[in-house]
Amino acid sequence: MRPRKSGYLFIAPYALLLAVAGIYPVGYALDLALTSLRAQFSGTRNFVRSFQDPEFLPAFLHVGLFLAIWLTALVVLVVGLSLILHSLDRRISAAFRFVFYLPAALAGAASVMLWLFMLEPGVSPWTFVLHWLGYNTLGDSLASGNLPVVFAVIAFWSGAGSWIVVMYGALATIPPGVLEAARLDGAGPWRTALRIKLPLIKRWVAYMLIGAFAAGTQLFAEPQLVSEATGGILNQTWSPNQLAYFLSFQLDNFNYAAAIAVDLLAIALISATVILLRTGLFRVSD
Amino acid sequence: MRALAGRILTRHSASQIAALSALSLMAVFFAVPIIWAVGEMIGGTALHWLLNSAFYSTAGAAIAVALCIPAGYGLATHDFPGRRPLLIVTILLMLIPPNALVLPLFLEAHAAHLLASPLAVILPYGLYPFGVYLAYLYFNTARFEALLQTARTDGCSEWHVFKRIALPLSLPVSALIAFLNFLASWTNFFLPWVMYWSFGTTSRYPLALGIALELDTSKGSSFYGVLTQLHLGVSPSYIALLLLVTCAPVLIVFVLAQRWIGSSQLQGVFR
Repeated sequence: MRPRKSGYLFIAPYALLLAVAGIYPVGYALDLALTSLRAQFSGTRNFVRSFQDPEFLPAFLHVGLFLAIWLTALVVLVVGLSLILHSLDRRISAAFRFVFYLPAALAGAASVMLWLFMLEPGVSPWTFVLHWLGYNTLGDSLASGNLPVVFAVIAFWSGAGSWIVVMYGALATIPPGVLEAARLDGAGPWRTALRIKLPLIKRWVAYMLIGAFAAGTQLFAEPQLVSEATGGILNQTWSPNQLAYFLSFQLDNFNYAAAIAVDLLAIALISATVILLRTGLFRVSD
Repeated sequence: MRALAGRILTRHSASQIAALSALSLMAVFFAVPIIWAVGEMIGGTALHWLLNSAFYSTAGAAIAVALCIPAGYGLATHDFPGRRPLLIVTILLMLIPPNALVLPLFLEAHAAHLLASPLAVILPYGLYPFGVYLAYLYFNTARFEALLQTARTDGCSEWHVFKRIALPLSLPVSALIAFLNFLASWTNFFLPWVMYWSFGTTSRYPLALGIALELDTSKGSSFYGVLTQLHLGVSPSYIALLLLVTCAPVLIVFVLAQRWIGSSQLQGVFR
């Protein structure tokens, strides 16, 4: 028989902070989103208004384009590289995993800064690539059509390493007996990778995709810093989070901004629920 | 962290306090020249931002460890009403990208007049559902359960069971939680941005915002229209230096802890 009541003692401090910094802000944002500027209940009016905003749809389209490129790169390259790493000698693969993981130390503002230099033909070590693509100035590299690709490259550069570590960890849990049996049955490295290993790490791939999707809809640092660096050439409301931030700061319309924050939160919450219920990776009961 | 603090507080003999102060004094002697060198290299303002970053991230990690270990322990070893909902909320929150909570937190901080205060970033950093889940998995084993039952049969109170058995055993998972939480807040951008950026409090910026400020100061010199090159208030080599300083602490800890971050972080988390 496990003790009951004393459990509250141990969880109380965490539950308190969870309420203050996790649940209350969500409830407060929802409350603001459902209220008019004059503090009256306005139902879904803020949401409807945000859908009709000329900046709203483009912001989601931008991020959608970014997501399409980024998620494809994640599935193809992260899964492919992890499978290759798993077939290599342990020490060699550890060295490669470390190099791939290195940029994670620079995530956020620092990685964007670094990539601004990578895209500036005057200082970039990739100048020959940029010239070959016909880009002679930073303005060429950051032409608005390029932005989803640019942000996908930055996100992949700084984030793929962690996912490769996760995928490799998942592959490492495959019992050696399974791979041995496949080898004895005459399966080559290709077949083993695609027919045995890949199905066994399917749940992690799903987790990565849904998690990356939710995280990608939250894009902020990349477009915001590019906007700062280019002195405002890039629209300040490129992504939905930027739009919400812009509305609350520049226009002082907190209710309207809260409606967009709630939209984004709903996407995140739905994604989290799908991961929890469908991938079976997380234990809720013992 | 807590175990250490507890040990210092309970066995506060005068000689130990004297020993500890002597050690601290010597630590200052050893560390100050290196901090000075970093400060000379990156300049006083940037050193200030660096120390801000260290303060926010360390305080956040300390809170996270202090809350996650008891909470994970309680969830894993107690059967109280509300346990399952709390666990589900914890997992959902850990699966939500941290950025999704930033605007709601900003709206809350605005209503509570906490904008531009260190608490506005430290408290959210301290809320670490992933750490609670890690601690929960760590304590949720049959072997650990049996150990606790033995202690209870011997007449240990619940608090003593936690203090004498769970706390000393929690050191590896505490270190992992502290590292992952530190890394997350060290590289965070959106939260400090909304809490500090528009309030003219550059002295409270973490390093990430400071770097962005080096871009922003160039705004006056750039013209709207055709962008020909990156406009910076400072030289590229200075920015490069700041970037290296930003990633240095993370890389040092990662290299030191790589052995068990790679394995236990992942294999323990997933079923």
